[in-house]
Amino acid sequence: MSSISVQAEPILSVRDLKKHFGGKKTWSGAVSKTIRAVDGVTFTIYEGETFGLVGESGCGKTTLGRCIARALDPTGGEVVYAPKEGGAVDLASLKPRDLRPYRQDVQMIFQDPISSLNPRMTLLDIIGEPMVVNGLARGEEVKHRVGDLLERVGLRAEYMVRYPHAFSGGQRQRIGIARALALNPRVIVCDEPVSALDVSVQAQILNLLQDLQAEKNLTYLFIAHDLGVVEYLCDRVAVMYVGQVVELAETSDLFARPLHPYTEALMSAVPPANPRAARAPRLLEGDLANAANLPPGCHFHPRCGYCVERCRTEEPELREYSPGRFVRCHRAGELKLDGVAELAEADL
Amino acid sequence: MTVEAAPTTATAPSAVADGVTARIISPRRLMWWKFRKHKLAVASAIFLILAYLATIFAGFVAPYDPATRSRNLYAPPQGIHFFDEIGQFHLQPFVYGWKMTRDLETLSPVYTVNPEEKFPVGLFVRGEPYKLFGVIDADVRLFGVAEGGYFHLAGTDHFGRDMFTRLVYGAQISLSVGIISVLVSLVLGLVIGGISGLYGGWIDNFIQRVIEAIIAIPTIPLWLGLAAAVPRDWPPLYQYFAILVVLSLISWTSTARVARGRFLALREQDFVTAARVYGASRTRIIAKHLVPNLMSYVIVTLTLAIPGIIIGETALSFLGVGLKAPTVSWGVLLQESQKVQIIQFYPWLWIGPAVCVVSVVLAFNFVGDGARDAADPFSR
Repeated sequence: MSSISVQAEPILSVRDLKKHFGGKKTWSGAVSKTIRAVDGVTFTIYEGETFGLVGESGCGKTTLGRCIARALDPTGGEVVYAPKEGGAVDLASLKPRDLRPYRQDVQMIFQDPISSLNPRMTLLDIIGEPMVVNGLARGEEVKHRVGDLLERVGLRAEYMVRYPHAFSGGQRQRIGIARALALNPRVIVCDEPVSALDVSVQAQILNLLQDLQAEKNLTYLFIAHDLGVVEYLCDRVAVMYVGQVVELAETSDLFARPLHPYTEALMSAVPPANPRAARAPRLLEGDLANAANLPPGCHFHPRCGYCVERCRTEEPELREYSPGRFVRCHRAGELKLDGVAELAEADL
Repeated sequence: MTVEAAPTTATAPSAVADGVTARIISPRRLMWWKFRKHKLAVASAIFLILAYLATIFAGFVAPYDPATRSRNLYAPPQGIHFFDEIGQFHLQPFVYGWKMTRDLETLSPVYTVNPEEKFPVGLFVRGEPYKLFGVIDADVRLFGVAEGGYFHLAGTDHFGRDMFTRLVYGAQISLSVGIISVLVSLVLGLVIGGISGLYGGWIDNFIQRVIEAIIAIPTIPLWLGLAAAVPRDWPPLYQYFAILVVLSLISWTSTARVARGRFLALREQDFVTAARVYGASRTRIIAKHLVPNLMSYVIVTLTLAIPGIIIGETALSFLGVGLKAPTVSWGVLLQESQKVQIIQFYPWLWIGPAVCVVSVVLAFNFVGDGARDAADPFSR
């Protein structure tokens, strides 16, 4: 993949974003434990790039995506968005009424093709409603635009009178993409858009996303757990672990030479394209740390094979290891970690 | 809810999106297909539709006026005959008249068939005049015998009033109580359940605890207490509405629970998140995304709640705290039959209303079962 050009403008700057659940006093007087689903995430997405967000289930990547699209209200931090007209707005702190003009610019694509479409609405209503709600079109104009969008995502315009149940998973995902495009957004948060699909359909949807990006100069925040997909599509990748970014780098660098032991473990979970190529798997033991009861020191240390005394007591900061490469590990650079160099040639 | 006419093909067409000419299958049609597979539910639905039509056109369906007295007191049901006593076939069915004698020991009337008296039964005969819907003057009855004869399909009571007529008029009260108080519960349940599910927090907790408190009180004593508070001297119509309110006050709780549960589940669906992300207002999300998707579940709960209300009205009237004569309802009819004498010698006076209550309650349950299966046409 091409690496992003240096002069690209930042479109979204996430700064110390936090989303905590619970911690409230319930009616019976007990205080529920605070779940730190997203706990101080910082990164910048540049216009026109595809920014990957990977991590295992429950690490907070979906919550982070939803906070950025303001489907959830963040607990703290900033999401600074650079509108087309210039300037900067903090999407995280805007009140719902002030947020409205920027809603159109940041849209979402969902993982589950079943629950992402209202079963009681026709495609015309599903894809047309965003335009109607935002006053972009009305009446016949909506029909025209919906027809165009359906054709753009590879469906027939005549389908707009049908209901979602008449479509397959891949087709439903195309409908979801058409709905996200209805408002001509600049940023799309793709929340695992292909993980519920067959591999053959996955490739079609990924190609569609790439074509649309080139055509409309879209910026993607691409959430995934499939590293093959991430390597194929993303320019830069952030690796998340219990609500924090542990490593952030350009895709090729990250895959060739991970700096964080957790990234290495993720890589080793990818099945090698050549089963005879002997590779010592770095399997992780134990479960993802409990976000309501985090271990002291480095959150990853109970599962880390390279853990030393310092990791148990002192929490590492996310630091810039080399220009554009960030890592949250005390021992970054000292360790010799394995990447997946062969994935690129053999897999896709 | 309007249901489109059923296609004649028995197999459900596949919903494959190929040709443009393929029919558009709405979720509603899918539900209808699924409901149609439940034969018992369809039969029950037809039965209920007929029963409700009969209550609307009660004057037409009933052969007499509910207050008309015949000279035959405690007459048993008259059987319809096609063959007379010498075995001759008659194309028009007829009934025999009664010959009454008195049991000299108990002084109760004893009826025997009088072969001399034959009253041919006809359809759409002229009978006693009545007012259709309370306004239109009419005198054509669905069935009956010519002037001078008498025909009591379900026998007569202690005043000689026609039981079949009284069952039809009783259905007006008993069946409408179910529907109307279910509509009251629908509104109460949707609003209260919706507030509970959408706002959450302490409001949700408060509403749920109130519902639990209401459910925890045994139904019959609560009904008894509330019904006893209805003034005795109120006109029958007021009493009817008072009983209705008493019954609705309890039945909304289950609707509210279902509505709340569906709101909670739907709120987390991705299409609702999508609507929030593209800026749809809260009202719009509720009206276009949440309510249409929970209505089918609410309708199922309501269908299953109707029999409980019908039984509730019957029970209250039977116990003497609900409606009272001269109002006719199935419960009132059963209440009037609470005598050993009637139970033993004139069983048609209680078998009639009992069969009506049981069959209507069963039919509602079957329809509810069918509707429950059809409510989610996308589940396999």
